[in-house]
This record gives sequence, structure tokens and C-alpha cells, in this order.
Amino acid sequence: MTVIILVLFGLAILVMASYGYKISAKTAEDYMLAGRTIGVVVMFFFILFAVSSSWTFYGYPGYLYLNGPAYIYFIWGSVAGFAALYMFLGPRLWAVARLNRYLSPVEVMAERYESPFLRVLLSLMLLAFIVPYVGIQPLGVGLGFKALTGLPIIIGALYTVALLVILVLLGGMRIVAWVNIFLGVVYATALLGSLIWVANKFLPGGLTQAAQTLMETNPELLSAPGPLGRFTPVIIGGTMAVGLLAFSWPHIVIGVMTARDKMLFKWFPLLIFIFGGVFFYTIPFIWGSLVAPVVMPGVVEKEAADSIVQTIITKYLPSWFSIYVLMGVIAAAVSTAAVQLLTSSILVSRDLIQGIFKPDAQDSQIIRWARWSLLGIVILSLGVSIWNPMAMALYLTDVTIPGFAQWGPALVGGLLWKRGTRQGAIVGTLAGLVYLIAGLIYKPLFFDMHPIMPTIIVNMVLYIVVSFLTPAPSEEVQARFFDEVEDFLAAG
Amino acid sequence: MREIIRHTPGKIFLAVLFVSIAGMIFVARYFTSKILVFGWMTLPLAAGLVFVFVWLVAYLIYFFKFWPYR
Repeated sequence: MTVIILVLFGLAILVMASYGYKISAKTAEDYMLAGRTIGVVVMFFFILFAVSSSWTFYGYPGYLYLNGPAYIYFIWGSVAGFAALYMFLGPRLWAVARLNRYLSPVEVMAERYESPFLRVLLSLMLLAFIVPYVGIQPLGVGLGFKALTGLPIIIGALYTVALLVILVLLGGMRIVAWVNIFLGVVYATALLGSLIWVANKFLPGGLTQAAQTLMETNPELLSAPGPLGRFTPVIIGGTMAVGLLAFSWPHIVIGVMTARDKMLFKWFPLLIFIFGGVFFYTIPFIWGSLVAPVVMPGVVEKEAADSIVQTIITKYLPSWFSIYVLMGVIAAAVSTAAVQLLTSSILVSRDLIQGIFKPDAQDSQIIRWARWSLLGIVILSLGVSIWNPMAMALYLTDVTIPGFAQWGPALVGGLLWKRGTRQGAIVGTLAGLVYLIAGLIYKPLFFDMHPIMPTIIVNMVLYIVVSFLTPAPSEEVQARFFDEVEDFLAAG
Repeated sequence: MREIIRHTPGKIFLAVLFVSIAGMIFVARYFTSKILVFGWMTLPLAAGLVFVFVWLVAYLIYFFKFWPYR
């Protein structure tokens, strides 16, 4: 039964990817940026479910289960960070990319700072942090497979990788965006449906009963610093700051460049606030902080906590629904990893190969390199994740996001600050990156702060100081990236 | 962003957003209390919902009445 359903699910994705291949224009712009035709509704599903990985189902509720409710500050910060991307940076990035036919945000930065070296640096840095995170997604599904069927984790991981490769190889960005609607609906209904079902089964008094039970049995789960004493006010503030830097996630930044017109930036934040902030992310929060600790208390190990929702569903709900939930988890993993994989392959083909070695490449060559590189990236990412498994929530917040954040100052300054210079961008980014790597190896270098805080401060200060100490960008760059963009946005 | 800081409504909009972030960090010191809003909502959840509501209202007013590119 499980195998049949999962085969049908895979076939549905294959059909959609094939259709995407059939209707695509076979140009690099179409493959990488969906021909810049994504409207507001598709964009919402595309971005929400590019963000909502299997982490939302495993890592996030698992971390709440162990540490109490204050971790939700990461979500509140992220909601503000994504909204800020679309409200403040989005229109300018979209406009300059459209006017100059740029295909990758790293390409935009390289042109803005007139630096091929920065192009290589940013590409390699973002790839280094995105690749292990791509690999975590199939492994997350593998956990679900194991909990449901008892099969080894690698079986579920390979199944997910196969879906991913087919989708990205054939479809490109347009079909990845469209398939995210299908995958998002499957995921959201699985997550919400399982919560309602389990709550009805065990909590006739609703969430109030859950909260009262916790108040009597484990009251630390209802407040900060939480059962493990982790969430002091300083850490809570730092957790929100980590979320705010979500505007720098490369696979989300590239989404901005696929927009059809500037009106998308007017309407998109509305969907982020209402459906993303208030509705969607409240579901795993209630799961992990209220329902799971009441239904299945006593779990203390990180890995077991990571799969607590899946374990409860498998144990207490009918097997057919468990399969549906697993399908939802696969949907979550695929919807995120596909965008990350596509972004990675664009960085390799457009920024590294074409940008450095073959500037006069044809569209067909760029697409071919992108397809080949994604095969390499997927193998590499899975290998890295198997070689160095780590608790999912911790990997996302302590390694990946601090890594993504290191291009934040150059990105923001490049789009909003005329005085930002090539030297400032290179020195700031390099210093932040080296500091982050050194701190991950030798923790005391972070002075008991979250990795993102000291590294981003050093990065930002150096970017500003060095920019002031070096000659301003050329008039041509200032005109192309500021004056022309403002005229276009005001008139277009 | 550059266009937003060039006029008064934009400056007020940004000020509201910054103050709300500072407010979120400030109220975290009270999360040791086990107060439950509506009998089940923990304080970090309640604070965040208020935060999102503030951003939503500020965004609706600014983007639909004052945004230069509307």
C-alpha cells in the first residue's frame, strides 16, 4: 500500500515536470527564472514552501518540545525578514535584474561591485552553506520512512533524491514554482490534519486542556528559559535576529527575480503576514510546544525529539493517514530542496562556469551545465549529510543561516547604498566568513553569542569603514544601479 | 528603501517597524511568567501575533496609501 501510493505520488511529480519541460522556452532565462513571469499567488506558494522544509515538521517541533516556546522568536524574525526582502530590497533587485537581463543575484552583486573575484567568492560561499542543507532534506524524509515502514533511512533519502532530480532536471524554475503549489497543499493539509486529529483524539478539552496538563506536569515547557534553561532574554533576542536575516537566504532572494511585475511587491507581504506568520507556522508550534509534550511526554534525546510528530502519528493514527503525512513530509522536503538545488546549479553554471571561464556561452550550454552540475551537487550534498549528521534545527540556525548572512551587508549595501565599494564588500564578506569558520571550529571565539551576531557585526563594520576609505563606485555603476532603477520603478 | 526614507510617511513606517522589533526584544524578559492568554497561548506566541499584527497594519497603511511605486 505504502509503496503504491508513493509510486503514484512520484508519477504525479514526473508528469508535472515533463509538462514543464514541454512548455518551457528552452532559454536560460526561462529555465533559471521562469521567464520572469511568476505572479503573486504562485510566488507565495513558491516562497512559503521553499522556506518550509522538512525542518518545519521535524526540527522545529522537536526543538520546541525540548526547549519550550521561546524558539518561536526565530519564526517571528523570519516573517519580518522575508517581508523586508519583498518590501525593501525586492523592487530594486527585480528592476535592476530585469533591465540588465541578470540571471542570478550573485551576478547582480558582481556587476554592482565590478568584481569577478567577488562573484567567485560569493558563489563558493553560498554553495558551501547551501549544499549540506540540501542533503538534510532527503535525510529528513528517510527518518519518516524509517518511522513508518522500518526501512533503512537511505531508502527514503534515495526516493526523495530521485524525485528532486527529475523535477529540477526537466522542469526548471517555472515548474518548481508551480509544483510547490501542489506540494504545499499536500504538506499543509497533512500538518494541519494530523494536528486536529490527534488533538481531537487525546484532548477533548482542546488546547486549553493541553496547556493545563503541562502546567501540572511540566510547567517549564510553557515559559522561558524552558526545561533546559537555554532561552535567556539575550538568547531570545539573538534568535529573533537570526530570523531577521532570513532576507539573505539565496534561494529566497533569487525568487524575487522571477516576479512578473512590481505590483507583486505591493501584495506579497500581505500573504506573508496572514498566511505565513499567523496561520502556517502556528501549526508546527502548537504541535511541538503543546500537543506532542502532552500526548507523548518524556522524550529527551534530540534525534527522538526531531521525529516526535511522526512517531505520534504512526503510533496513534491509521496507517493510511500516516502514509499521507509521509507524503506531506516528502512534499516539504522536495519543495525546499528543489529550489535550493536549482539555485545551486545556477551559481555553478551562470556565475562560476560562464562568469569566469566562458563568458560567451550560449543558452543551451548554460542550461546543460546547470543540469549536469545539479547531479553533482545532489550527490555531494547527500554525501556530506550522511558523513556529518547533525540535529536538524541546530544545523539550520547555527551553520546554514550564519553562512547565508555573510553576503547580507554586501547585498543590502549594493542595492541601497551608492557609496558601498568593491573593496568594502570583499573585505567585509571575507572577514565575516573566516570568522564564522574559525568560530565553528573553536567555539570560544563567539564569546557565548550566537554565531551570527559577532560575525555579522564584524562583516558590516568592515564593509562600511572600508567603503568610506576607498574611492566611490564609478558614475556608470551608480547610474545603472540607482538612477535607472528608480526611474524604471517610478514609471513602469 | 531609499524611496521610503525620502518622505515622512515612509520614515514613520520604518520607525513603527523598528520600535516593534525593539519591543519584541524588550518583552522577552517577562517570558519567565507562565501566563496563558485565552487559557492556552504562551507569551512568546502571543507577543509574536501582536508583532505580526503591528507590521500588517503598518504595511497596509503605507503600501496602499503612500508607497511611491503604487
